[in-house]
Amino acid sequence: MSTGWPCEMASAPADSLHRAGWPAEHEAMTTQDIREWVRTELWDQVPVRIAVIDRNLRIVEANRAFGRTFGPWRNRPCYTVYKGRAEKCVRCEASESFEDGVARVREEEGKLPNGEPIHYLVRIHPIERPDGHIPFLVEMSTDITMLKTLEHEKLEAERLAAVGQTVAGLAHGIKNLLMGLDGGMYMARSGIEQGNPERMIQGWGILEENVARISSFVREFLEFARGRTPRVQLVDPNEPARKVMELFKDTARLAGVELTADLDETIALAPLDEEGIHSCLANLVSNALDACDTSDKSENHVTLSTREQGGVIVYEVRDDGQGMDYDVKKKVFSNFFSTKASGKGTGLGLLTTRKIVQEHGGKVSFDSREGEGAVFRIELPRNRLPQPRAEADDE
Amino acid sequence: MNAPQNAKKKILVIDDELSIVKYLEALLQDNGYATVAAMNGNEAMEKVRSEKPDLICLDITMPEKSGIRFYKELREDPNVAAIPVIVVTAVTGYGGDSETFRKFLSDRRQFPPPNDFIAKPIDREEFIKRVAKVLAAAS
Repeated sequence: MSTGWPCEMASAPADSLHRAGWPAEHEAMTTQDIREWVRTELWDQVPVRIAVIDRNLRIVEANRAFGRTFGPWRNRPCYTVYKGRAEKCVRCEASESFEDGVARVREEEGKLPNGEPIHYLVRIHPIERPDGHIPFLVEMSTDITMLKTLEHEKLEAERLAAVGQTVAGLAHGIKNLLMGLDGGMYMARSGIEQGNPERMIQGWGILEENVARISSFVREFLEFARGRTPRVQLVDPNEPARKVMELFKDTARLAGVELTADLDETIALAPLDEEGIHSCLANLVSNALDACDTSDKSENHVTLSTREQGGVIVYEVRDDGQGMDYDVKKKVFSNFFSTKASGKGTGLGLLTTRKIVQEHGGKVSFDSREGEGAVFRIELPRNRLPQPRAEADDE
Repeated sequence: MNAPQNAKKKILVIDDELSIVKYLEALLQDNGYATVAAMNGNEAMEKVRSEKPDLICLDITMPEKSGIRFYKELREDPNVAAIPVIVVTAVTGYGGDSETFRKFLSDRRQFPPPNDFIAKPIDREEFIKRVAKVLAAAS
């Protein structure tokens, strides 16, 4: 039965407790005993790797768990011990904490002494003197390699499931195109046979339209399938939003839709694949404008906004267009599902958006009411964003 | 072209793709039927009530009002509930519209199933044969 004493929580062997002067009977313990135990034993017993680093990024103290995981550490640079690097990391969170005194939490990939990779969640805490000087940082790392392996396996299973769905969706798209081509041929031929030039021209038009759709279909499909490696760099998260605003301003004006931006200019730089985020926002804004196209309202508005909330970068595209009913909501992220008019959508836009956002460790969600509009939201937690490209290349 | 006995029966073609609407209308007209067309579920419901067609060829995935919701509304209106429906859909078998449609029907047993399903792209002869069969059964 648990007594709730720290010795049990840390599962310390009995002999080590006695070495630390732990009394045989818990009842006899004093506050001083507990302090002594925490100072001498807890440091080495907790299943967390703890290291103290100085301003030269050298490890000056570490607990036993740290040494067992990362090997020899005394007076060696943190980047060498954690990652086997010869030089400081391109983006050094420790240096940032020395500069601004802010605690940080971050997922990292390191290298064990045997060369195996390790994924760990590190919490960086500055130790500040009363005069404001920060001589040391404490870094507490938790091994999340197993979690990352499971996450990777889950993603792989999802990817395989998506391949099956994609093939089925591809067949669906092709059937529709074949029906269009077949129809065009029938009308052109029967138009000739019946001496009906109007029908012949109509048939020819249908053939042309479907050939154009095939081109667009193949282009989008390849873009979705090729699995482009994200080009992650430190960028202003508002930059892709500004470019999308510029891209759609004329389209919106011609459609009679008021397109506005509400960007939080205080958001700090973040490691993003700018081109990928641009594609996501362009998809969402294009969808919002199309939703306004079929709305009954006399005036329509689309707003693209950005903000940062609790370490999460949020992009939002809000429209007051037609909104979605239950049937449509269920299929929003399905391959090749589109409610757009003929030739306007292949149904891959939102699927591609979700893929890119997931590559950034984020998620896409939406709220909508039929007839009232919709809001699509991309949320990117900073601590899940990928490493900038330059750093990944170094390793 | 074989003009069937039930020539000049009126068929409502519902599909959101104009090229498919034009194609099916031309094909049906060439086989002796009169046609009307609609490109979404709302327009289709209006046409059903104003034109009283003898048969409906129904696509499923459409903007504004899907084929599923149209079918529900059709079967709920006693004035038009008896009009036979042939579903013409591109998704057959895997996780798509026809499955949704079948599930919708099995969840709501009070609705009779559509009179027939035909997969896109259609086999023209087969399509005309089935149209004639459904019309014959309905009369």
